[in-house]
Amino acid sequence: MSRLPERDGERIDRGRSLTFTFDGREVGAYEGDTIGSALFAAGQRTFSRSFKYHRRRGLMCCAGQCPNCLVQVDDAPGVRACTEPVREGMQVMHMNAQPSLELDVMNATDRFGGPFTPPGFYYKTFIRPRRLWPLYEKVLRHAAGLGRLRKSQPEREWQTEYRRRHADVLVVGGGAAGLSAATAAAELGADVVLADEGPEPGGRLLAEGGRDYARELAGRARAAGVELLQNAPALGTFDGLVPVWQGDTLHQVRAAQLVVASGAIEQPLLFPGNDLPGVMLSGGALRLVELYAVKPGTRAVVAAVCDRGLNAALALREAGVEIACVADLRPHGGSRGDAAKLLQRRNIPLMRGSTVLEARGRGQLDGVILGPPGSDDGAGERTLGCDLLVVSGGSAPATSLLSQAGARTGYDERRGHFALTHVPSGVLAAGEVAGVGELAAAEGSGALAGADAAHALGFGDEASRAAAERERAKPAGPNGWAAAGNAVPPPVTSERRGKCFACLCEDVTSKDIHLSVKEGYDSIELSKRYTTATMGPCQGRMCQLPAVRLMAEETGTSLADVGTTTARPPWHAVPMGALAGRPFEPAKRSSIHGRHRELGANVLWAGDWRRAYDYGDPRGEALAVHEAAGLIDVSTLGKLIVRGPDAGEFLDRLYPNRFSNLKPGRIRYGVIASDAGRITDDGTICRLDDDAFYVTTTSSGAGAIYEWFTWWLADWGLDVHITDVTQGLSAVNLAGPRAREIVQGLTELDCSADAFTYLDGKRAAVAGVPCLILRIGFVGEVGYEIHYAAAHGEDLWDALLRAGAPHGIRPFGLEPQRLLRLQKMHILVGQDTDSESNPFGAAMPWIVKLDKEQAFIGKWALERFAEDPPETALVGFRVANGHVPTEGAVVMPLDGSPMGQVTSARHSPQLGGVIGMAWVPAALAKDGERVTISDEGKRLEAEVVTRPFYDPDGEVLRS
Amino acid sequence: MSFEFLSTGPGAVARSPMEREALAAGARLEQRDGWNVAVSFDGEEAERERLRGSVGFADSSYLGKIELQGEIGEQLELGRARLVDGAWWCPYTHERAIVLCEPGRTAALVERLEEEARAAGRLTSVIEMTSVLGALTIAGPLAREVFARFTALDLRPNVTPVHGFRPGSVARGPGAVLRQDEERYLMLFGAALGRYMWTVVADACASLGGAPVGVDALEGATVHA
Repeated sequence: MSRLPERDGERIDRGRSLTFTFDGREVGAYEGDTIGSALFAAGQRTFSRSFKYHRRRGLMCCAGQCPNCLVQVDDAPGVRACTEPVREGMQVMHMNAQPSLELDVMNATDRFGGPFTPPGFYYKTFIRPRRLWPLYEKVLRHAAGLGRLRKSQPEREWQTEYRRRHADVLVVGGGAAGLSAATAAAELGADVVLADEGPEPGGRLLAEGGRDYARELAGRARAAGVELLQNAPALGTFDGLVPVWQGDTLHQVRAAQLVVASGAIEQPLLFPGNDLPGVMLSGGALRLVELYAVKPGTRAVVAAVCDRGLNAALALREAGVEIACVADLRPHGGSRGDAAKLLQRRNIPLMRGSTVLEARGRGQLDGVILGPPGSDDGAGERTLGCDLLVVSGGSAPATSLLSQAGARTGYDERRGHFALTHVPSGVLAAGEVAGVGELAAAEGSGALAGADAAHALGFGDEASRAAAERERAKPAGPNGWAAAGNAVPPPVTSERRGKCFACLCEDVTSKDIHLSVKEGYDSIELSKRYTTATMGPCQGRMCQLPAVRLMAEETGTSLADVGTTTARPPWHAVPMGALAGRPFEPAKRSSIHGRHRELGANVLWAGDWRRAYDYGDPRGEALAVHEAAGLIDVSTLGKLIVRGPDAGEFLDRLYPNRFSNLKPGRIRYGVIASDAGRITDDGTICRLDDDAFYVTTTSSGAGAIYEWFTWWLADWGLDVHITDVTQGLSAVNLAGPRAREIVQGLTELDCSADAFTYLDGKRAAVAGVPCLILRIGFVGEVGYEIHYAAAHGEDLWDALLRAGAPHGIRPFGLEPQRLLRLQKMHILVGQDTDSESNPFGAAMPWIVKLDKEQAFIGKWALERFAEDPPETALVGFRVANGHVPTEGAVVMPLDGSPMGQVTSARHSPQLGGVIGMAWVPAALAKDGERVTISDEGKRLEAEVVTRPFYDPDGEVLRS
Repeated sequence: MSFEFLSTGPGAVARSPMEREALAAGARLEQRDGWNVAVSFDGEEAERERLRGSVGFADSSYLGKIELQGEIGEQLELGRARLVDGAWWCPYTHERAIVLCEPGRTAALVERLEEEARAAGRLTSVIEMTSVLGALTIAGPLAREVFARFTALDLRPNVTPVHGFRPGSVARGPGAVLRQDEERYLMLFGAALGRYMWTVVADACASLGGAPVGVDALEGATVHA
């Protein structure tokens, strides 16, 4: 048991015990423990197996930055044990080891598989014989990946929330600098949100002796009105939008100013055995001690490049850990600093100009070799037994979010890392990420950044601005954690035998990086993609800098020239479900939708509408329209009111035919052509009065046509207003031989054939509801398209069905409608036409009025189409053998190559055969001509028909 | 008049696009000014308490809505609505506005606006849009948090003060939000999206402890001019 006696500032509550299981074994914990701290306290040292070699891995950073402690919690994979709080009863399982964490058969890869698994091995080792690749792929896929998802969909579902939050200032990072920045901005009047990835604000203060001060800073921030989000990592920066993930909520924060105080990430050293359980970063060891009262080892060696490591040695000693030796890479060992003096006073041996050359142990650290870097002849070396190696290899500013926002970095030779050189407007950096490591200076830089952010938005006054300038002018002081100066470690500290891991996530060794360069992947971006270094859960936190050092060494170029890989989101791992948000999809429904459901309709998507496709009997519904009456909901049609003194001229300019000469109360069919004369939409236009037209469009084209109209109106500046009333009107089409009787029974309007003729539009009340009734037809029978306020949707539908019941009325859906309109060879834009179809090819030359005085859109193109006959033409066809060809099937002359396609096809019970429409070679667009349809291996003969199959002269329609 | 067919008539009751959803949530309906109106759900007292303590939402689709285009006449400032004689004048642009009023006044207001435009020689289009737009009132101390679940419109008080009017994207579709009072907002959207909007708002409210309320509970909360 590694639990220490109670410590000031510990996070655990020893009065509240919890239990959970790890691999089926019960483990005790305290409230406040993480899975990692509880397991470590209970003696667990191996937490996972590495990705490729299945090597044992133990706690290293204790801050959620490395991949060593990924576990599965209650069937959710990829959880970091070192940061996940313990909950009573949680079931924790290891990942990536079979049959167990202690005995993993895949560890054979480490022992024997090295030559077979170099970088890119899947492109090399397992490509021959080629015929075995499907087997290799299956095995590799099974072996790859970490964790297992729950099997069934319901088990995988969980509730997520999206929360949009606007703010004046967003501060990312809740350490000293971040808290100061947030407080400063809020005190000047800004609306501030602070997002911090830890469970409580304070950053490094919490584990390095400043917990009380961290609480004080947090209290000040809250008092100033800052909204503090904890356990809330920022995922990236997207042009002013920063998503922050907190539990089940994804906050989408949009802030006018962004202050990034994301700190710096302690770096490992590279040496053989650097991944053994027992090797920890100094910050990780201190977090175990200070936050969870867990002793990280009994006898420790410390390898440092700066005072941070030395201070860690002192703190661990105070906690009861024996410090066997401290190796400080600096030749003078930080002798000017307080830490070195304290080590001396405590008789802790200090080796200057030395570092760790090798870590030893079978599955667990049991000793190290210290000495000058690169040494392999034993000179100046010491071998020490230990169960803990504390490593402090310098730090790398966590600049990813800043880089995503457009900041630039450059290599700082003195500090040995990539530091900020430029931040864009609207973005500020504070604290360690900006290169300010000392505590007082970090606070000051944070306060200044917060003030600058607030001032940029107009908050504050002359006095606050003057104060900020005075702060800016102050020189940075040396007080606080880090004394000046650090050594820059070499890429690897020794060339001894043994794997030396540059990327712990992906099991990429230093030799792998060297090999990738030798194979020609000699830029950091290429090497990244080839070796996958920096592509794992840590996203480069631990391995970006080591990889760059290795590449510089191998290529002989400077680190500045090697550069870093492009920073991309997400900076922190996030479940796909958090990004997906709530599962709601905008669906438009007519006001009669409920009735369709009650009538048993099969409802499917038609564009962004939910529509009734049929009511269970599409053939019967179609026949009812011919024999009695049918009623269909066509509320989805686009509907525009176009009104004004120039409305007629406006429509004349938009359409190839004329509307200015349309009489009030009459309807005309129109086709919209693009600038290039291609058909884009169609519909009917009814003139309501001298200055007002009622324009319908296709259901899917409504939005585009409204935009088309308003765009051209803005260009032409005519005196016209356009109002989209699509969603405000229900529309139903009542059609069939009994339709006239049915509607007459509900209205006082004279609906006789003489009084209400084909293509008339009249306003009247139907069943007491004010309506616009259009005497038009799409389905081949006498029809009335009735438009009325959607608020009466169901009531008028019900009234029509009641009135029609004695006459045999049936509701009919989209599918029978498609058959009925096909019998009349009415086109469906987008189905029977495509982006190249023009009215001439689509057998509608009559709609193009080239003699119209008014210039209109597409005229120049249509004039050319009128002169040059089209190569293909849209026609109808019959197929004799009863096979319904697939829409899209290829059409060709009997002896030729493909020259067209089937656009629509159905079996017609009314006509007793298969009919369709297709584009065929123009020379064959004559009644009786024969073509071949090639459909999924079958060849069918079809006969061309150029006139509607049903009621070709329109006598029924016009009756 | 060309556009009677856009308006409701006396022959049948007028229904909100969300009537079915309201009934499924336990609404009690009453006919008022020709509309079926959800007047209560689980009792006025509980609903008022919800409006005071968390958040409630009410179907306000029965409100009269009149779109003006062209020379609007009233001096309107973009981003702000004006409450004039009990009607909200809400500008989308300098040349397009929507007027919201009690349902019983809609026809008369349409007529009056047309007459005023004619008399002043203004080129103004006046079209009734009552059935075109659905409306939900969201009120209570957590109202803004509800909106945060489905719109990126900035409704903070310093950006959208009382009487602020913000057209924009709401739940992934075109809409608008009118801040009628400190904690009361009216949201407009296409009527065909009624069921979808109800589902989205109900879900957002539920996560914050809110639920639907009837218009009678809302009427207890005064709107300040």
